[in-house]
Amino acid sequence: MSRTQTIAVAGNPNCGKTTIFNSLTGTHQHVGNWPGVTVERKEGRYVYHEQTFKVIDLPGTYSLSTYSVEELVARDFIIKDVPDIIINVVDASNLDRNLFLTTQLIEIGRPMVIALNMMDMAQEKGLQIDTETLGVLLGAPVVPVVGRTGLGIDLLKEKIHRVQTQVSEKARHINIVYHRDIEAQIERISHVLEQGAITLPNARWVAVKLLEKDDHIWEYLVDFTEKESLKIVTAEAIDQIEKIFNDTSRSAISHARYGFVRGATQECVKTTLAEPVDYSRKIDKFLTHRLLGLPIFAFFLWVMFTVTFNVGAYPMDWIDSAVSWMINLLHTILPESMVASLIVDGMISGVGAIAVFLPNIFILFFIIALLEDSGYMARMAFIMDRVMHSLGLHGKAFIPLVMGFGCNVPAIMGTRILESRRDRILTTLINPFMSCSARLPVYILVAGAFFPTHAGTVIFAMYVTGVVAAILSGKLFSKTVLRGMSKPFVLELPPYQKPKFSSLLWHTWERGQVFIRKMGTVILVGSIIVWAFGYFPREVTLSQDYDGQTQKLKTQLTVRQHSIDEAFDASVEMQKQQYYSVLVPFESSKHFKELVGQRDSLLHETQINFQDAVASIGYARQADVMSQKWIGKLGKIIEPIVAPLGFTWREGVALITGFVAKEIVVSTYGVLFGVGADVDAENTGIIASLQQGGMTPLISIGFLVFVLLYTPCLATMAAIRRETGSWGWTTFSVVYSLLLAWLLAFGIYRIGSWLEWLT
Amino acid sequence: MFGRFQNKTRSIPRHQLENAGLRLSDLQPGQKARILEIGGSEMFRIRLMEMGLLIGDVVEMEKLAPLRDPMELIVKGYHLSLRRMDAEKIAIETVAADE
Repeated sequence: MSRTQTIAVAGNPNCGKTTIFNSLTGTHQHVGNWPGVTVERKEGRYVYHEQTFKVIDLPGTYSLSTYSVEELVARDFIIKDVPDIIINVVDASNLDRNLFLTTQLIEIGRPMVIALNMMDMAQEKGLQIDTETLGVLLGAPVVPVVGRTGLGIDLLKEKIHRVQTQVSEKARHINIVYHRDIEAQIERISHVLEQGAITLPNARWVAVKLLEKDDHIWEYLVDFTEKESLKIVTAEAIDQIEKIFNDTSRSAISHARYGFVRGATQECVKTTLAEPVDYSRKIDKFLTHRLLGLPIFAFFLWVMFTVTFNVGAYPMDWIDSAVSWMINLLHTILPESMVASLIVDGMISGVGAIAVFLPNIFILFFIIALLEDSGYMARMAFIMDRVMHSLGLHGKAFIPLVMGFGCNVPAIMGTRILESRRDRILTTLINPFMSCSARLPVYILVAGAFFPTHAGTVIFAMYVTGVVAAILSGKLFSKTVLRGMSKPFVLELPPYQKPKFSSLLWHTWERGQVFIRKMGTVILVGSIIVWAFGYFPREVTLSQDYDGQTQKLKTQLTVRQHSIDEAFDASVEMQKQQYYSVLVPFESSKHFKELVGQRDSLLHETQINFQDAVASIGYARQADVMSQKWIGKLGKIIEPIVAPLGFTWREGVALITGFVAKEIVVSTYGVLFGVGADVDAENTGIIASLQQGGMTPLISIGFLVFVLLYTPCLATMAAIRRETGSWGWTTFSVVYSLLLAWLLAFGIYRIGSWLEWLT
Repeated sequence: MFGRFQNKTRSIPRHQLENAGLRLSDLQPGQKARILEIGGSEMFRIRLMEMGLLIGDVVEMEKLAPLRDPMELIVKGYHLSLRRMDAEKIAIETVAADE
């Protein structure tokens, strides 16, 4: 058995490349990222005639120029990693455009097999393709396949095998021949290239790229010795071509490539139908209809949102209960120690808090896969582009932004549907301002406490503020840090297709598992840090004798119970003496029952009061302890920073813990104010405490705005890190949102105070 | 961290249209036209070419998006969407609907 052969799969977007890749490799694949960029890299394996093939799925591209990261990644792989064979997947129903990429692959000169995909659709369109002749013209065997059904995959494997073992007569290197004036210049540059030591396999290809003014080509020419003369000759050659063609040399070369493609298709393709049936066009009569298009779109969006968050709520509850159950179980079986606390309170609670998002994420990814595979995603972009364009974004960016109202984590991971890295980063950066569902409990609590009659309005205002912050930040970023790379909107609306269920599941899993693997690590570390802040220092000196207080209460309780019993006995004795009926014994009389009832309710009341008192001592103890842990100390350290906003160290601590997950702000508040962590809007204790703690309605508005805008939660941060692939952007996002939150809260507090508004 | 985006904004040559006549953005749904000239940045011109929209090609205007932008065209039998501001950079001549 010889060494493993490497195959690169190249093709246009929407040509069914991934389906072919899946058919070849089955489940033997591995998904990762291309080094340095967040472009998915898929790798798989298969064995044919005892020969192992490693298959790399290149990003879908229309060309191999270097305008996008995807194109650069694809080209770099072919040039630098030198795959043994290239499979070029070509959409048979759209040959002219697909073969444009093929011409560029031919020029690079690796052995190639062409998989002519979507033959069924081509036939529907009435196209007859002479694959034999096409193969001869392109210098590569052409295999008709239908990726969806797997038809032709075995033949494809056989052809690859034959090309690899060099028995295929059709695999030969051909040249794309240009106009003689261009050929002359190619000749000239090639001549210079041959003079210097060149490590590249194909001088002709380099010459063409130089004529195309492709700057990245110089990266392959680092070791080339005659750089200076090459630069001069290239500039001259480009100048000559541009004079002759009265066009840019790049454009002239592209035209020539299309000329070659046209020549090939004219010879090999026959149209049998005069007016081919265009089903997609008929479907679009409704889906992108002038009047119906928007409502239908809104409806799909609503379904997507509802299914993701409402249906997802059930498994979310199961995971939540399972995690609580596990925590309780471990608390009972593990002896109390630092390690036990680290495992249970740090790692399991922390990761558990994030694991509850898994159902949302998987459902959302499934729906996105459905939208992408069916072809509707492109229509969504088409419908929303006008709105998003005003933010300097692509139409598709609308989807992750709306999903942000549910949870920013899947929403940010959903930015993968965007093609340009700039758009992905911009959408990621503004996404946390879309108020996620975890912030709602905070709004309900605070708005409910300070604006009992207008809570709804205040909460709605928070959502609007978030959207406005997102829009303005988007405009700001696209004019400053993310200037420039906005691409022209040239979007293909691919034909609608019936999605294959197995491939939907596969796409969902592919994307979802990244969340499990990578986010797990970041979140685990983050949870441990936050745990440590709440755990250390281990020994704290309590400012009051809480145990003594509890003990005292217990004594009081016994005394009180005793006195109730005594009073009862005395009353019974007294009543008994006045009792005269002989028919009914006193113990069955109405009077006796009344007395028992009075005693029982008194005892019950005493018991309840006792429990409440013990609980509040417990909460006070917890608050006392917390204020002495690192987290409390941190709260006191940052107090000067939040003081200008009217906040105290308690708000400081609540906001810090809110970094783990924003809803924790509420329970931290509960602990700090000594009313317990189980807080909701009905809990009158917290509301009274909030008011007594010095918070005014005005400060509460500032606080809500702060909660809305400040640092995304840990999981979101991990998602930002993951999707931007850069700590730089993650830090930027954190710092920017903190600054914005602080400035707005400050402005609200100061201007409000000055106007004596809501004080 | 920001440099990666800014180096792309270096002066891109822009092509001024010589044709003074109709623009692709002037087409009404159902009309067909032949592309005469493509203006705009080199990147835009190349991008269109990669997507199969070439000088001399006949395109059909299918419709406008519900919000009146972008527009949908049929080129070489497939559907392509362009913003109207970009379509303004493309000079055309109308051709009969049955061509």
